[in-house]
Amino acid sequence: MTVQIAAKADATQAAREVAVRASHVSMDFGSGALAVDDASFELEKGRFLTILGPSGSGKTTLLRMIAGFQKQTAGEITINGKAVDAAPPHRRSVGMVFQKLALFPHMTAAENVAFPLKMRRFNPRQIAGRVDQFLDLVKLGGYGDRRINELSGGQQQRVAIARALVFEPDLLLLDEPLAALDVKLREEMQLEFRRIQHELGVTTINVTHDQREALVVSDNVIVMDGGRIQQQADPVALYRAPANPFVAGFLGLSSFVEGTATADGNLKVGDLVVQGTAARRFETGAPVVAAIRAEQIRLAGTREALAACDMTLEGRVCDTIFEGERQMYVVEIGALCGATFRVYHHDPDSFGLFRVGDPVALGWNRRDLKIFSPAA
Amino acid sequence: MPQIPSTDDPQTTFRYPLRWRIMDALNYGLDRFWPARMSPYTGWALIMPALLLVGILVLGLFEMADSSLHTLDRAIFRPSEAYTLENYQAVMESATYGRVVMRSVFAAGLTVFFTLLLALPYAYIMVRTTRSAVRKALLVTLFLPFFIGQVVRAYGLLIILGTNGVANNALGLVGIEPIRLLFNFPAVVFGLVQYMLPFAVLMLAPALTAIPRETETAASSLGANWLQSFRHIVLPMAKPGLIGAGLVVGTLSLTDFAMPAMLGGGSQDFIANAIYDQFFRTADQGLGAALALLLVVLGSVIVGVVIALFGAGTLGMGSKK
Repeated sequence: MTVQIAAKADATQAAREVAVRASHVSMDFGSGALAVDDASFELEKGRFLTILGPSGSGKTTLLRMIAGFQKQTAGEITINGKAVDAAPPHRRSVGMVFQKLALFPHMTAAENVAFPLKMRRFNPRQIAGRVDQFLDLVKLGGYGDRRINELSGGQQQRVAIARALVFEPDLLLLDEPLAALDVKLREEMQLEFRRIQHELGVTTINVTHDQREALVVSDNVIVMDGGRIQQQADPVALYRAPANPFVAGFLGLSSFVEGTATADGNLKVGDLVVQGTAARRFETGAPVVAAIRAEQIRLAGTREALAACDMTLEGRVCDTIFEGERQMYVVEIGALCGATFRVYHHDPDSFGLFRVGDPVALGWNRRDLKIFSPAA
Repeated sequence: MPQIPSTDDPQTTFRYPLRWRIMDALNYGLDRFWPARMSPYTGWALIMPALLLVGILVLGLFEMADSSLHTLDRAIFRPSEAYTLENYQAVMESATYGRVVMRSVFAAGLTVFFTLLLALPYAYIMVRTTRSAVRKALLVTLFLPFFIGQVVRAYGLLIILGTNGVANNALGLVGIEPIRLLFNFPAVVFGLVQYMLPFAVLMLAPALTAIPRETETAASSLGANWLQSFRHIVLPMAKPGLIGAGLVVGTLSLTDFAMPAMLGGGSQDFIANAIYDQFFRTADQGLGAALALLLVVLGSVIVGVVIALFGAGTLGMGSKK
């Protein structure tokens, strides 16, 4: 906990140290669209950054360029203030945990962890002690003599983490190492990454397509799509104030309505004006799209029951989906030209209160309906 | 959407495609011939032809063992009636055969070494290249010699390495006098390496393919340069392939006939050449059989030692604990 507080204190200082800086980095594989398109970001020392995006968004390519496995076709990457573009991977101080772990099967766990120390010419007398220290860090003390195929999936993950950290790199890269794990183990390992990162204070970049993981582990999240950075923000800001419809749709469950902008900054669908908030002004009549999250919509049998909401509408249930801790309703609103909304209902006593075809009322607050210009 | 005809409609004259009906008939026949209750024995039935072939070989070995225990009676040119170990004694006491055996073993060892040395980078590049044109070119180059028999290839080497051959002509251009490149030990080893290279590459390629590219990437991110990554990661992980390829190349070289016969010019005989001489030149069947059994024992011992040293597991046979 103390580390976390220290990191926060550092962040408030005026002169924050930048660990990784990417300026206008692009990657052209020569297949038409750029794999990474003019990506620029900064990462402060000791922070945990997650690059989040669907497959093919360019997130892994960006990571591989930082590691040095690929050379960007434009732009510059610096690590601790030094441009690394000319340095091959083994000359960069970057530890990486790979998607398929890439442990060395012909070595024991301890030999795997000792490998980077031997390659980097550490003092041979210190290697054994350091290996033990890092095996302890990942809670694998006493497992050093096991061969890789004698370890469980979670233990192999831990060896891979220890191996990537043992030489105290400037930067730790995680290339979706948790993607193949089952949910329970994945959530356990996410917290482990968080704990180890706090304990060592190592600057970390994680790549994932799992939005939950991004929100859970990171200080800072970059959302990528189509090779472009869509938004960079801390998890709360990212979730609360998405910059565009893509981010709004990728994190959490949002429903979308298309319409036109009104003079006072609201959304007009057909003849109906829906109140919402926009980060910027739109010309009257410009096409816009609005998004609202499933948990920000209230659901009731009548509009009167939703008097506390800024906006209420009547609709009809099209589908109900039981998800265990909540029930999701899909509601069609006739007044909004048949737009459908997905609504979470968390009250366990009233599960199954509404059935398909039932008339219901939806309500929400003006600030929760975000108005964007339509996706490009 | 094509209409799927109903089978219980008597009006339709639908027939399944010919290939389906043939497969159905085959299935029916197979069911009658080999009913389901026989299925536990299916494995044995399938391995039977192979067992028969090996059985015939073993039978031949016994026949040979028998004839190796009779000496040739030179007066009547027939094998002796009595059983004797004289043939083995003759082989053991003969300095010539000692030399032949040593030469065969030494040449096989050298061939294994040089073949693996050349095959490993070849297979590595073939497996790792990202350009499919390069891979195809390497594969075609690899398979081309397979279409040309060993004898023809040895003859080709005779032409190239001869006193007036391409090699000596090239040397002549830079002012070097023609040297005798043929009918010596290096020529035989050269021919063997040239002959064995495709076998070794074909055995190494799957072993190298089994090494994930990411493992090498990981090694480089952990601080290993290319050479270190090759030495500490690729070589140990390719060990099963290297041992397998080494065994194949070694046993094929040890028992080779054509290369020593043609490129050695009679001065570089291997065991197989000595056996040939006994069977077809001096017609001393007994001595030939004794030499042949010696070769079988020698090869088996070498293979046995290698497997004992490295374990059958490294050859992909059985799992090691």
